Amino acid sequence: MPESGARPQVDLAKVKPYADHLGDGIVQFSFTLPVPYGLAARKAAQEWAAKMGFEHPEVVHYQELTDGYTYFVMFGESNQTVDYASLSKEGFEIEYMSEEEIEDFARHQIGRPIVVVGAATGTDTHSVGIDAMLNLKGFHGHHGLEGYKAFQTHNLGSQVPNSVLVSRAIDLDADAILVSQTVTQQNLHINNLTELVEMVEAEGRRKQIILTCGGPRVSNELAKELGYDAGFSKGTYPYHVASFIVRELAARNGTGHGASVADGASAAAAADA
Amino acid sequence: MPSATAAPLHELVAGTRMLALVGLAKNTGKTETLAALLREHAAAGRPVGVTSIGRDGEQHDVIDARIEKPRVQLRAGDLVATTGALLRASGIAHERLSKTGMRTPLGEVTIARMSKPGAVEVAGPSAAADLRAVGEEMLLLGAEQVLLDGAIDRRAASSPAVADGLVMATGAILAEDIGEVARTTSDAVDLVRLPVADEPSEHVALERRLVLTAEPSEISTLLHEHPEADTLTVDGALSERFLEGLLAARTARGERELRIVAGDPTKVFLSRRGPRWYARQGISIEVRRPIELKAITVNPVAPQSHSFDSAELRDLIASDIQDVAVLDVLSSSYLALLK
Repeated sequence: MPESGARPQVDLAKVKPYADHLGDGIVQFSFTLPVPYGLAARKAAQEWAAKMGFEHPEVVHYQELTDGYTYFVMFGESNQTVDYASLSKEGFEIEYMSEEEIEDFARHQIGRPIVVVGAATGTDTHSVGIDAMLNLKGFHGHHGLEGYKAFQTHNLGSQVPNSVLVSRAIDLDADAILVSQTVTQQNLHINNLTELVEMVEAEGRRKQIILTCGGPRVSNELAKELGYDAGFSKGTYPYHVASFIVRELAARNGTGHGASVADGASAAAAADA
Repeated sequence: MPSATAAPLHELVAGTRMLALVGLAKNTGKTETLAALLREHAAAGRPVGVTSIGRDGEQHDVIDARIEKPRVQLRAGDLVATTGALLRASGIAHERLSKTGMRTPLGEVTIARMSKPGAVEVAGPSAAADLRAVGEEMLLLGAEQVLLDGAIDRRAASSPAVADGLVMATGAILAEDIGEVARTTSDAVDLVRLPVADEPSEHVALERRLVLTAEPSEISTLLHEHPEADTLTVDGALSERFLEGLLAARTARGERELRIVAGDPTKVFLSRRGPRWYARQGISIEVRRPIELKAITVNPVAPQSHSFDSAELRDLIASDIQDVAVLDVLSSSYLALLK
């Protein structure tokens, strides 16, 4: 039986994974190798894991996926640690507002309907992401931006050419564009996402329009590289997107604090300098 | 063309205050080019300023984590515009000179001067106008040249409204066939070097919505209403949809030579066909402001895939492009130049 009382102290400047007891560094991972099932395959997986830096790599399960392919589940120990203490001060945690708070914030800081135009662009036929964010129905009990008084939304649907999306956004005097992309293996969608940014630049509207993108493989790092103001990934609810848009718009108007990440990061960095 | 390549990069870009580095795709070696230029400036003791419209010098590729990226090595005295969090993460001593108020998904952009040498991850402003502004500021703060790094295949940094010159990076990643790499590069160079239009006296200024939405019927109507017009001008983005629509509409009404004038090459969006192809169809694309292409760098290796012989690829690209040096900054012949 574990001792009752306080939980063991964790050094947040040096955290690592654990399985059985704190600090053991044990990780479970799974992957596939394009080799036929057998003892040589098992050995290959162990060697690969050792090369990845795992100590005591152990194959706990392996099976043939199909002819010439083997799937593995392994355990291994990692000595690597990360400095969570510093990271948590960089402001990566976005302070999200509830729906009521967003409405209230928009009423006081913006004072007019915020126009948001969304689409799945290029050849992307998946409108499920954009629908979940924009449509009244939303998902998981959180309705989309259409359901907010603060927003006036225009969902252009899927397979919308970038030039058409840009044209509509300018005609509607959009405050924000929301594009959904299901990034594929070949990364074709990456070029489609950059083309949109470049078109907004070519129209001279980049500074006026908040550009956000979303998709299962979109991160803030990717969003930055692509030239977007924010990237939304798995686990995003409409109120996350809404929080970002109202805060960023207020920040651009000079009426409120900067959106999310930006201020926290710079404030932490400045304090550190 | 050995004569054209017989100068190191820093000489080819000398005199350019604000230099953009743009790749035709990811992994065309843009960051290697930046790193080479930084080494050459460092060797000459020239302080430079560096920023990126995307994100650069990260250890691993954000799209394919298997790809190790070159780092952005700065010297003491160099200036950089990146986010506060990334400056801090670099662990290199620096002096923060100004906060720009420009927000990015990775934090606010800060301008700093390095106190010690080291590798820094660079994520500058995302908007072209902001890129220009931080570039100007770094020049005022003492940078002899500002290097503006592009991202992925983005061209905005090379706009004449932002930079005074461009180094274009191309490479094996574009195609598995070496001839296809050369052709794609050639199309991209044609696009960058679109001819400068003389001030058109009579022209039809196209409405933005018409050019962007490119409805075939509206394009037909336009041509019909201006039967004598041979010059069309566009303020914003010139989309490929519009050019294709124009071709279709024109064919229906018989051959007619047309000239389209856009603001600058970054406002022209061609992905399927190059300017030469359109010229052969009787549609010439021209610009009001040109981009000065200073050099082309080549990465003969496509990570996790194929590679070509560097000299062969350079020769093939150079054979179709006049007056611009084609370099591979990691080749032995280039490194010999620096000795």
